[in-house]
Amino acid sequence: MNRSQRTAAFIASRLASVALTIVGATLLLFLMVRLVPGDFTSVMLGPRATPELRAQITHDMGLDRNMIEQLWLFASRAATGNFGEDVVSRRPILDIVLDVIPNTLALAFSALALALIVGIPIGVIAALKPGSWLDSGLALLSISFITTPTLVVSVILFLIFAIGLHWLPVAGAGEPGDIADRLRHLILPSVALALGWVGYISRLVRAALLDTLAELHVRTMRAYGVSEYRIVGLYALKLALVPVVSILGIGLGDLIGSSVVVEIIFARSGIGSLIFNSIAQRNYPVVQACVVFIVAFYIVANLVVDMINALLDPRISGARR
Amino acid sequence: MAISVRNLSVDYSLPHGTAHALRDVSLEIQKGELLGLVGESGSGKSTVAFALMGLLANNAKVISGTAKIDGKSFDLTKPNATAALRGRGMAMIFQDPMLSLNPVFTVGTQLCEVLRRRSPGSDRKTRIGMAEDALDKVKLSNPQRRMGQYPHELSGGMRQRVVIAMALLSEPALLIADEPTTALDVTVEAQIMREIIGLRDRIGCAVLLITHSLGLVTEYCDKLSVLYAGERLESGTVNEVQQQPGHPYTRMLFDCEVQIDRERHADASENRFTVIAGELPDTRQRPPGCIFNGRCDVSFADCAVVDPGDYPVGNDTEHSARCLRLETP
Repeated sequence: MNRSQRTAAFIASRLASVALTIVGATLLLFLMVRLVPGDFTSVMLGPRATPELRAQITHDMGLDRNMIEQLWLFASRAATGNFGEDVVSRRPILDIVLDVIPNTLALAFSALALALIVGIPIGVIAALKPGSWLDSGLALLSISFITTPTLVVSVILFLIFAIGLHWLPVAGAGEPGDIADRLRHLILPSVALALGWVGYISRLVRAALLDTLAELHVRTMRAYGVSEYRIVGLYALKLALVPVVSILGIGLGDLIGSSVVVEIIFARSGIGSLIFNSIAQRNYPVVQACVVFIVAFYIVANLVVDMINALLDPRISGARR
Repeated sequence: MAISVRNLSVDYSLPHGTAHALRDVSLEIQKGELLGLVGESGSGKSTVAFALMGLLANNAKVISGTAKIDGKSFDLTKPNATAALRGRGMAMIFQDPMLSLNPVFTVGTQLCEVLRRRSPGSDRKTRIGMAEDALDKVKLSNPQRRMGQYPHELSGGMRQRVVIAMALLSEPALLIADEPTTALDVTVEAQIMREIIGLRDRIGCAVLLITHSLGLVTEYCDKLSVLYAGERLESGTVNEVQQQPGHPYTRMLFDCEVQIDRERHADASENRFTVIAGELPDTRQRPPGCIFNGRCDVSFADCAVVDPGDYPVGNDTEHSARCLRLETP
């Protein structure tokens, strides 16, 4: 097989495992959501609801059927993209989820991009002179970024830039259609979400770079007079990014998790706030649909990560023929 | 124009003291000549190479030493003294070809990178042409295809040819080959050595061949220096040293070489390799007298007390050895 065929086979095998993972994760989550105590009717309708109304809602949601039946109904419908109708708003659940997903994706990707753009250079600078004052200072900075909870960062940014200085909007995701307004609404939440990742990525890049710089091919480059900037910034960095990208793939789940907090604080509609509200209402069908999408996002993101790594390191696609 | 190294001393700071890895080592190589630097593991052979290149480990320090390359003098105690020569006046071939190329860049990219420095101002196309030409010269088949391949797609011998092509492209005055065939199959060894000789013939550079194999030295080199525990014990033309080893250590090294046609006993356990008993002395605290004293089979009382100098051996002015038995009273 030549290189492009190998890459194609590699991607095909990964896609097959993606499908399997989505099915497995969905089944697991279906069961776990039902372990959350409290039920929809009492949370939704309150203590004074009539037994008739309760029974009606329970029937509408399919909660009067046994677990296996519920599971089968959910899985068979979900497979065709039908997640049912929301009992509260009477809208198709798929529409509700698809409405908010762009907001969350915009938040997650802008945060990730920001974290990479700032985090990689910090890591490279720290690795250029390990043990120097600059390195120690950047380490301190990175570790404080990592250890400050997103919640705290969000509140501080919110208080300073939105409430105190009035530089940026306080809440919401901006006017639909008004790109500039939406971007202005994106700044604070994505910075809040990115900050911890800046620290995380810079530490990862620094460690991976230092490992790579100790390898013998770096000595070859030095022996042939290649400048240290080209060695660190090009030859070693490309190799060092492989483990960094792998770890990022795993960390993307955490990014979505943190976006729940950010979306709530900045009152943005998004999959995070949707999930939070739905859990509070014990609105299982909506929670389930959200979770399916998050799992799918996570898995697709990891697939992309693997493909990026296969592009960075030609040995990866070659080795798993 | 000769290339010379004078009084090279290198220290390594270790957790339990300072190892004096090289002590006053001097070498001289004429252009077009191959000098074999022989010694056991830990004798300091590679330290000589990396001190010259200025690529010693962080815990190493050049205490003394000057190099003369291409008519210019370099004070090796200064960090990066020879940095300007890397990839131009000096080139190096390494011990482990499997690890000496970057795995995520193509052979072509890495070869062209060398040319960015060697011929600045050349455009990409010219560089690619030059790199392909170099691969062809080191007898790597199908050079155009090789340019687009990654190191893991090549065998160890092929990768070593790529590094030799790098050396060829930098047209050095001095080529250092640090155990270039140790990690390779014996069948590839001769081919790689032939490419190194071919490079020397094309460029007319001096070659410092670092090896533990006396066989390699006697077969390919013009001159030979023997390094032991950081000291040069003997130096001379290969012919002279082979016929008349001045130092007991050199003689014992030659005795250790396994002769292919040696007699074998019917009982396999009777077949013995010759070895030099004992091990390298601790270079953190060099004992007085001869550094080889203790392993030597012909030592006498003075050997433990008097530091030997470099004494001439026979009539050849180039041949000298550091053994008290050669001292003329």
